[in-house]
Amino acid sequence: MRYNGLSYAIGEGFRNIFKNTKSTVISVITMICTMFLFGIFFAIGVNINSVLEQVQMKQGMEVFIFDEVTDEQKQNFENQIKSLDGVNTVVYKNKQQALDSMKEQMKDSQELLTAYEGENNIFPASFVVTLTNLEKSKEIESEIQRIGAQIATEGRSEEVDLQIEEATTNDTIIKKITSRDSTIEALVQLVKAVRITIGVIFIVLIVISITIISNTIKLTVHARRKEISIMKYVGATNGFIRWPFIIEGIIIGIIAAVITLLIIGLLYDFIIQNIETSEVLQKMGITLLAFIEIAKPITIVYAILGIGIGVIGSSVSMKKYLEV
Amino acid sequence: MIEFKNVSKIYDTGTEAVHNATFTIDKGEFAFLVGTSGSGKSTLIKLILKEEEASKGNIIINGKDITFLKAKRVPFLRRSMGVVFQDFRLLPDKTVYENVAFAMYIVKATPKHIRRQVPMVLSLVGLSDKAKCYPHELSGGEQQRVALARALVNNPSMIIADEPTGNLDPETAWDIMNLLNEINARGTTVVMATHAKDIVNKMKKRVIQIDRGIIIRDDKKGGYNSEV
Repeated sequence: MRYNGLSYAIGEGFRNIFKNTKSTVISVITMICTMFLFGIFFAIGVNINSVLEQVQMKQGMEVFIFDEVTDEQKQNFENQIKSLDGVNTVVYKNKQQALDSMKEQMKDSQELLTAYEGENNIFPASFVVTLTNLEKSKEIESEIQRIGAQIATEGRSEEVDLQIEEATTNDTIIKKITSRDSTIEALVQLVKAVRITIGVIFIVLIVISITIISNTIKLTVHARRKEISIMKYVGATNGFIRWPFIIEGIIIGIIAAVITLLIIGLLYDFIIQNIETSEVLQKMGITLLAFIEIAKPITIVYAILGIGIGVIGSSVSMKKYLEV
Repeated sequence: MIEFKNVSKIYDTGTEAVHNATFTIDKGEFAFLVGTSGSGKSTLIKLILKEEEASKGNIIINGKDITFLKAKRVPFLRRSMGVVFQDFRLLPDKTVYENVAFAMYIVKATPKHIRRQVPMVLSLVGLSDKAKCYPHELSGGEQQRVALARALVNNPSMIIADEPTGNLDPETAWDIMNLLNEINARGTTVVMATHAKDIVNKMKKRVIQIDRGIIIRDDKKGGYNSEV
């Protein structure tokens, strides 16, 4: 059995950590600080994203239909809309409900609407469609138009010729589609802008983290430059010298990641609960993410960050000292 | 074994440390490189270790021209020789045993081989009872013997020693010299840079003298100073 270089490197990496307690502690604290900062922005970022998504989900269009549309057609229509890609929910609102919501809006002069009760109800029934992806709003609207026309013509293909003159309104079951285009457009732009901003902040934070941590590693490497040159004289390859440092970096990264994760985990739910009970969010029916929900991505990010910075930081900062 | 062919070394500062050096050290030889400080003998050692690149000429070690050796191959060149320095250069946070074993980890020796070989060289240099000590717990002479054990542990074909007795008192210096002599008697080539006159005079070995970068003398069995 050949001697396993990796187990030597791992053993050395651990040894160095306990041998140089001071620099280990400094590195871990530095890393916790950057990771904590990172974690806060990450938490804010994913929550903003989730809130925007929830707001998006509540946006959509209202599809008004003619009174003559049969229940069967309505059912067919609803099913077809539901199966469209990008549609979140479809809720049917009958004529009475339409009248009720109108009353709601005209609180002060409800008596004006009493004439429209029952038989005289002029308000059309509608489907309220919300979307998962607002960017598809236009596409979905034209799809719904197409379905409406299709359903209207389907059942009475033989009669079409006879009724051709009065068929103008019966070409489709849809009376009107209303969507708040300008609001949707603004929201789409906002989501894009927020995502880009979050992305930029993340990149900046990663660069800062790598700079700070590779500087910390540079200090420890500098403190051990004599050791490194001795290894070189004895005939150690660069890889052989580098690996224990890289593993040391990884271990420090993991320790820092675990501690930061604990701190963030403890603080997070506490803070989120306080924000969630605020009136604005409650009114909008928006919920924030629980820690469990962001724990997985944040752990992955920390693992990559910890290990990545360990590897990159140590390799970059060692370069200078390996040229003996 | 070690062959210099018209080797010159000019540093970036413009100083010519070695000028047109040509000599050959054969297998099993014991050769002193002598000269005052700044004469260029350290540069010769550095050239052999490939720590410095020759500006001109060729250096052949163990039949291989190392003049254009790639940086990546340098560690393997160094493994073919055991190196000893004036300042010992031991790893401070490793015990005597670990310092010696380290040279074997590097060449990926098996743990079994390490466990057998390290105590053997430690007993050869007379430090079996200090295996668990750290370098700072040892005297200078003991530290140099650890360095020697480290240099020997992989059975190199040559030992390169740069002023190995420079930091030692005369008595301990002779301990080291006797060890080097013993190692040489077993067939290992020894090249030693020094300016310790009495040692060179008493050993009666080959002497290569360098002065201001030029090799001015190469005696088969010489003393420190030319006896002409």
